Amino acid sequence: MKRTRAGWYEAARKAAALVPYLAAVAAVFIALAPVYWLLTISLKREVDQFAYPPQWIGFTATLEHYRDAFAGGSFAAYFENSVLLAAISTLAALAIGVPAAYGLARFEWPRQWDHRIGDWILSTRMLPPIVTIVPLFLMLRQARLLNSLTGLAIVYTGFNLPFVVWMMRGFFEEVPKEIEEAAMLDGESRAGALLRIVLPLVRPGLAATAVFCLVVAWNEFLFALILTQTEAAMTLPVGIASRVTQYEIKWGAMSAAGVVAMIPVLVFAAAAQKYLVRGLSLGAVKG
Amino acid sequence: MLEITGITKRFGAREAVSAVSLSACAGEFVVLLGPSGCGNTTLMRMIAGLETPDEGTIRLCGEDITRRDPRERDIAMVFQNYALYPHMTIAQNIGYPLRVRKRPAAEIEAEVKKVAARLGLSGLLANLPRQLSGGERQRAALARAIIRRPKAFLMDEPLSNLDARLRVEMRAELKHLQHELKIVTIYVTHDQAEAMTLAHRIAVMRDGKIQQFDTPANVYQRPLNTFVAQFVGSPSMNLIQRDGVILGVRPEDVQLSASAQAGASPGRIYVTEEMGNETIVVVSDGSSQITARCPAGARFEFDSTVWYRFKPDKVHRFDSSGARIPD
Amino acid sequence: MLLALSIYPLIYSVKLAAADRRNFTRLFTDRLFLTASIQTIWLTLSALSIEFLLGLALALLIDSLARGRMFFRTALLIPMLLPPVVAAVAWRLIYNPQFGVLNGTLRRLGFHTADLTWTSGESSALASVILVDVWEWTPFLFLLLSAGLQAIPPEPLEAARVDGAGAWRIFRDVTLPLLKPTIVLALLLRTMDLVRIFDQIFILTQGGPGTATETVSLYIYRTAFRFSNFGYAAAMSFVLLAATLLFSRGLLRAMRAR
Repeated sequence: MKRTRAGWYEAARKAAALVPYLAAVAAVFIALAPVYWLLTISLKREVDQFAYPPQWIGFTATLEHYRDAFAGGSFAAYFENSVLLAAISTLAALAIGVPAAYGLARFEWPRQWDHRIGDWILSTRMLPPIVTIVPLFLMLRQARLLNSLTGLAIVYTGFNLPFVVWMMRGFFEEVPKEIEEAAMLDGESRAGALLRIVLPLVRPGLAATAVFCLVVAWNEFLFALILTQTEAAMTLPVGIASRVTQYEIKWGAMSAAGVVAMIPVLVFAAAAQKYLVRGLSLGAVKG
Repeated sequence: MLEITGITKRFGAREAVSAVSLSACAGEFVVLLGPSGCGNTTLMRMIAGLETPDEGTIRLCGEDITRRDPRERDIAMVFQNYALYPHMTIAQNIGYPLRVRKRPAAEIEAEVKKVAARLGLSGLLANLPRQLSGGERQRAALARAIIRRPKAFLMDEPLSNLDARLRVEMRAELKHLQHELKIVTIYVTHDQAEAMTLAHRIAVMRDGKIQQFDTPANVYQRPLNTFVAQFVGSPSMNLIQRDGVILGVRPEDVQLSASAQAGASPGRIYVTEEMGNETIVVVSDGSSQITARCPAGARFEFDSTVWYRFKPDKVHRFDSSGARIPD
Repeated sequence: MLLALSIYPLIYSVKLAAADRRNFTRLFTDRLFLTASIQTIWLTLSALSIEFLLGLALALLIDSLARGRMFFRTALLIPMLLPPVVAAVAWRLIYNPQFGVLNGTLRRLGFHTADLTWTSGESSALASVILVDVWEWTPFLFLLLSAGLQAIPPEPLEAARVDGAGAWRIFRDVTLPLLKPTIVLALLLRTMDLVRIFDQIFILTQGGPGTATETVSLYIYRTAFRFSNFGYAAAMSFVLLAATLLFSRGLLRAMRAR
């Protein structure tokens, strides 16, 4: 059947409607291709890794690099260090930061103070790490905490603390005061109201804040690089970096370590997706 | 029963409540009526223990509770936005005050069922607050307040978030419930109709002070000053400046006629509003406007001339400061 | 705790830098510091403008889709979430002139790739670093601007349509002004991060070849921890701090305006 002019017009319109989707798919391809490439390198036999033409699909997959990196190599130890460090510094930051945030959110503060506390918290977050690293390095050296997980955990806790206070304060402020008051009239003490009514209500925010702390500690590189220079205290990013700057790079094992390093972050990010915008904009945009 | 003496509360330099004294008898329904910001909510929050007064005492059943923790006062409160716990089901919400008091689970369940049935919530007990309509949330909040039979009820504009029809319905429901429970109730509102219909006594408040504390009938018929006179009653009382005194006339005490009559003054029809059961007529006499309440069916053309007259025994007189001049 | 970790190090570094006044005078004559500063500024400005335009375009694009928005949004965020070190490693694999997949693919498509040296070429290294940053952080701009777009109430847009405005006018007269606070915020946050860029460059080029990708952060690092000149490093930190403070004041104001 011959198409009418209206039919052609309709078809063209449909095709035009696809253009944005094609653009979006292209953007996703660009965003994911490097990640995918890293994944393939970690799964390829060494002979295939840099073959020409590049093999995107259909190569022989092997897990030898993962075995190489984690079973025999030192990446397992780095991994463990990173996990410990992220967990401890996050817990510590939450333990100190959450009560502080509650206090800031619920009790009346002089208006000026309020601004100042806020500015101060944000400023510490904005400080370029390289600015504080020299004195921190010298201080930790004096305290004999260089090259130790303890030293790094303290630094990360201090790093995450302002963020915890800031974010949790926002979440606490979102719980209507009346709910807490209702609980107190119903017979709770203030602590009881906080524990049994307010905390369950801010739980999603608390979880998101924890995830952000975990990711920051997990991804952090500069402090770890400078404050831990021995094998025993290295974190995963530092471990990977130390391999890159060697002359003979074992790309397979390193890619494998890289893939393993990014998995927790992606899992966490998926868990905290709802609060991603808020966390990344330091609470300024409530996404 | 509930006795408030010389309560003052300051926020910074501003006095939100100034030396207020007030008492409510057992089982009494007292309404704190006033525009927003007049201090009635603050006064209520001090009774609840959510704010601490700077001066004065609050006694409940003979005990001084001025500085007690909210939870030690045995007072229940219904909040304007209901303040239901969003993460608990309706049953858990209603039962919460008993759970805090560590009553046995079986007793709590039975009580919750009883109260829920009383307020028509039986089918909603497993739902979360956000799944309920405004009226249902309102009743859930009420249920949570009455379940433990407190010594006093506080209600902070509990009906203001409901639509007009539901508000009237709940108003009647609330009044009957309070009659049944016979628990002293303090109720904050800025809606004079709510105050008139619910209260045994109304405390009209303005700028942190009580202007008049009396029965609805007395507040309506013998307002102590022009503020009370205008705040209570709808449409508002007409106030007319004449010879250094202020005359106050309720719209129903204004009589209109189409022809000149003895003692009547002429004016022009500004607007007429048919209400169905009555007609509100606004007359302009050049310098001021006078509102009259006429029987249904009264018809006047825009801008036509009418004669108005005040029922002589119904004219209130206030001095230039606004205070009532004794008859 | 906060004090110990924010204020004290600052005081400490003042002492450190001020111990020898030459630390500050040297700043003005240090060629390398000048180069690093210029390169940091150049990198910041170009990466920021590209990321902003791309991020805005992506936000508008994804916002206009009828279906699959959630999927695209999630997928596009991934580069930003990766550990920067891992992202940089991936790009090293891609950029390698002989074995890298980028040149490999281009050659396969018939391009001449012999002089495409990417990070190892003196003239192309900085641009290559910028490209990685664009890849990694455009998602950030995209995410914030998307959230900003969604926060715009539909009424003004509808009113503009009723008033007869076309798509471009609506964008220029309604969307953009309403989006402005978000834009300012996003740009400032991103600037702060760009000024202190370290991880990616450390892995990709270590500041080289020569000094082609040297930035202030990297130079401070090298001065302190390779040459153990802590005093001079502290002095340079102050310059960086002053620059950041200037920006952060603007940022705080922008945040409060929201």
